Amino acid sequence: MAISVRNLSVDYNLSHVTAHALRDISLEIGKGEILGLVGESGSGKSTVAFALMGLLANNAKVTSGTATIGGRSYDLTRRDATAPLRGRGMAMIFQDPMLSLNPVFTVGTQLCEVLRRRLPGGDRKAHVAMAEEALAKVKLSDPKRRMGQYPHELSGGMRQRVVIAMALLSEPVLLIADEPTTALDVTVEAQIMREIVSLRDRIGCAVLLITHSLGLVTEYCDRISVLYAGERLEHGTVKQVQQQPGHPYTRMLFDCEVAIDRQRAVNVTENRFTVIPGELPDPFRRPSGCIFNGRCDVSFDACATTVPDEFAVGDAADHGARCLLLAGS
Amino acid sequence: MGSFATLKRICSERDGRLGLVFTLVILIFAIVGPLVSPDPNLIDVKARFAPPGAAHLLGTDNLGRDLVARTSAGTRYALALAAMIVVISSVVGSLIGVVAAVAGPRIDRVITGVFDIVNAFPPLILAFALIALYGKGPITFVLLVTVVFIPQFGRMARARAQSLRSLSFIEAERMLAVHPATIVARHYLPNVAGPIIVLASMNLPVVIAFEASLSFLGFGVQPPKSSLGTLIKDGFVSINQSWWPIIAASLVLAIATLGATLLGEALRRVIDPKTTGAR
Amino acid sequence: MMDAISISKARLRFGQTIALDDVSLAIPQGTCFGIVGESGSGKTTLMRAILGLQKLDQGDVCILGMPLSHSRAALKKRARVLQPIFQDPAASLSPRSRIRTLMGEVATVLNEPLAVTYERLGVILNRLGLPKGILDKYPHEISGGQARRVAIARALLMKPSILIADEPTAGLDVSVQGDLLNLLQDIRQLENMTLVVISHNLAVVRLIAENAVVMRAGKAVESGDVASMFQSPRDAYTRELLSAWPRLRVE
Ligand SMILES: Nc1ncnc2c1ncn2[C@@H]1O[C@H](COP(=O)(O)OP(=O)(O)O)[C@@H](O)[C@H]1O
Ligand SMILES: Nc1ncnc2c1ncn2[C@@H]1O[C@H](COP(=O)(O)OP(=O)(O)O)[C@@H](O)[C@H]1O
Ligand SMILES: [Mg+2]
Ligand SMILES: [Mg+2]
Repeated sequence: MAISVRNLSVDYNLSHVTAHALRDISLEIGKGEILGLVGESGSGKSTVAFALMGLLANNAKVTSGTATIGGRSYDLTRRDATAPLRGRGMAMIFQDPMLSLNPVFTVGTQLCEVLRRRLPGGDRKAHVAMAEEALAKVKLSDPKRRMGQYPHELSGGMRQRVVIAMALLSEPVLLIADEPTTALDVTVEAQIMREIVSLRDRIGCAVLLITHSLGLVTEYCDRISVLYAGERLEHGTVKQVQQQPGHPYTRMLFDCEVAIDRQRAVNVTENRFTVIPGELPDPFRRPSGCIFNGRCDVSFDACATTVPDEFAVGDAADHGARCLLLAGS
Repeated sequence: MGSFATLKRICSERDGRLGLVFTLVILIFAIVGPLVSPDPNLIDVKARFAPPGAAHLLGTDNLGRDLVARTSAGTRYALALAAMIVVISSVVGSLIGVVAAVAGPRIDRVITGVFDIVNAFPPLILAFALIALYGKGPITFVLLVTVVFIPQFGRMARARAQSLRSLSFIEAERMLAVHPATIVARHYLPNVAGPIIVLASMNLPVVIAFEASLSFLGFGVQPPKSSLGTLIKDGFVSINQSWWPIIAASLVLAIATLGATLLGEALRRVIDPKTTGAR
Repeated sequence: MMDAISISKARLRFGQTIALDDVSLAIPQGTCFGIVGESGSGKTTLMRAILGLQKLDQGDVCILGMPLSHSRAALKKRARVLQPIFQDPAASLSPRSRIRTLMGEVATVLNEPLAVTYERLGVILNRLGLPKGILDKYPHEISGGQARRVAIARALLMKPSILIADEPTAGLDVSVQGDLLNLLQDIRQLENMTLVVISHNLAVVRLIAENAVVMRAGKAVESGDVASMFQSPRDAYTRELLSAWPRLRVE
């Protein structure tokens, strides 16, 4: 495994209470693999990304967790544990590209800065050439002119391409993309996703794609991890999980997704949509038993009292889910 | 935000606490004065220009009148005038400002034109001119100074209302065909109120000082009524005999304006944190 | 039967941007009509033009055959026929008024006894799954999902025959999006409502709308019957949109 994260737990301290945002999350991403981390908003996806990058808010505390990145191990409970990796071993793409771009510097300056950090003492001319090449690789039109432009002169999709070019130049071992296309239109979304895939192909890095769209995961990812209220309920290859969801939540999530080729009743008022009834559990006091208990459609008595371990789904060793229904098999 | 929470936030910083304390001191002085001291107009020629002592805590003036009683009465009168002026001009100003923003370009042009004309004169000069024209009674005085202060409130209300106009909740009201007067009263005014209250509290010390200046120059409060301005004037006239009268009145004016300014600033930081810095 | 909404040759520009470029549409009564397209294509502007919130440079909008007029009398009449649900529903509730006050305004507008309005409101709240207690709250005291429902409840209270919703499911998780869509479907069935839904979610529009228009840079590039539009799109841009849509296929 190129990347692995073990037992990551993160708390947010509010004035009187502590919100447990993540509980014992583990992730594995192979070299050159794209892992889709899915979950509803508030499930803790961004917290995973920020904990890895060392960018958590001041009121956050990592209570446990280690990461292995590029063969070295990092203790995530130490603030700045992964600071040496920022900009070199790890790169991040945010939903808002302006979080990665400095509005007062030109695109060229910022790209060259990335190179200066990765290849200190390099030749400035060579850097400019590499930066231009990177812009061309992410299919930004007219790279020469873009080098001299400021971020505000570019559209949202173009800015995201610049951020991808920056990631490309930093040649990371791990690329984290947190909802990189949520603010973009479908056509641009497809283009940006293709650029992320081709970046992976070029430098063979591991990619953590954070998204709430199962469509994106099934289309572009190799593996999937399902997050719910700060816990990982299921993980496996996309194919395994899609064909045989091990956790009822995963199944319900897939049922909710509206596919573009779904059966359409001619009388459109007859088309109904799937819902997961109920609400997210209280983040301040974890209910006993399975975290998904209150909303599950196949729960039984033991679900209210026993916290399920992770069980293998089917015979695949790398497909697991935390559901008591799997205990017997 | 509730008024209690606002108060708590004001007390959480030094300037706010100081402003609150000063303001309370002045208010208590204005209210309690008549209870501890005799009639402000009681003349006692034998005790002319008495220095502070057991009988007269702040001494007496040229007619032997007790200065505690006189400054307290003057403070009460000055505060009442200032409060009236600020309240009337902020209410009338907000209403006119919102109407300007809402009632269409023609009315807007007329109203902003009038605001411009009023603002074209220095406030003190304009007040002189108006008082010269309309006389010196206390009611005319309040009304005329109000007119001078209305455009400030009007402009701020107009700017706020204009930014509200394109917000969805105002558009939703319009799409419901709610009566325009209801929209103004129920949906514009409450959302304009925050910055207006801040502006009013920041204008309170300005109006106190403004009234004092006018009275000092003889255009404001007329005898036998006294305000802080007239007291300072009387003290100034007799400064060679005793400097207690002018010190007492000036001190009260200084504490009142300083307290109101600090309180107003603190209120602005709490209610309207975006518009910090010079106005 | 006359069309619920018809637009002919609508043109509008904001400075350099052409927001609407010769848009013509007809939305039959009792149907659901989808407006799709990328952001900035003019969908919201089109809605605002239909509502009379945005004057057109050229072209006409008719609601139930009546040309749009900006007089107060016309506005009052239109409010009983056509109600919007704005994109950010929390922002469409006046922040300093209790929900009860906002609902009470409907009684005044309809010139209806308050008791009658509240009785109808009770039924509507029930159907939307909102507790009665919500009436005593201020908009900032309720959740985003509830605000969305309150905005819908208020629109329904006006007994309109046409409802226009701007991106009603934007920003919702899939687990709750379905709930709102089912609600819109119910409303249509029960009230024989004409529904206009603006959305960038093609998959959703395909399932709830009979007809749709695809907008791009202010132009209506393709419009017509949804079934045939999604099966055999005529316009190149429609094809591009459809092929870009992520698929959930199992190999
Ligand atoms: N700085 C913070 N302080 C307190 N709670 C926070 C903070 N940041 C995030 N949270 C909470 O932690 C949970 C997970 O948040 P996040 O990781 O942003 O979720 P996601 O990215 O999946 O939407 C949410 O309930 C959120 O409200
Ligand atoms: N009030 C306005 N002033 C200037 N430009 C506007 C205004 N409203 C919309 N636009 C522009 O018109 C175009 C269409 O916008 P809009 O209708 O909001 O698109 P959509 O809803 O499809 O995202 C955009 O380019 C937008 O920037
Ligand atoms: Mg997030
Ligand atoms: Mg829009």
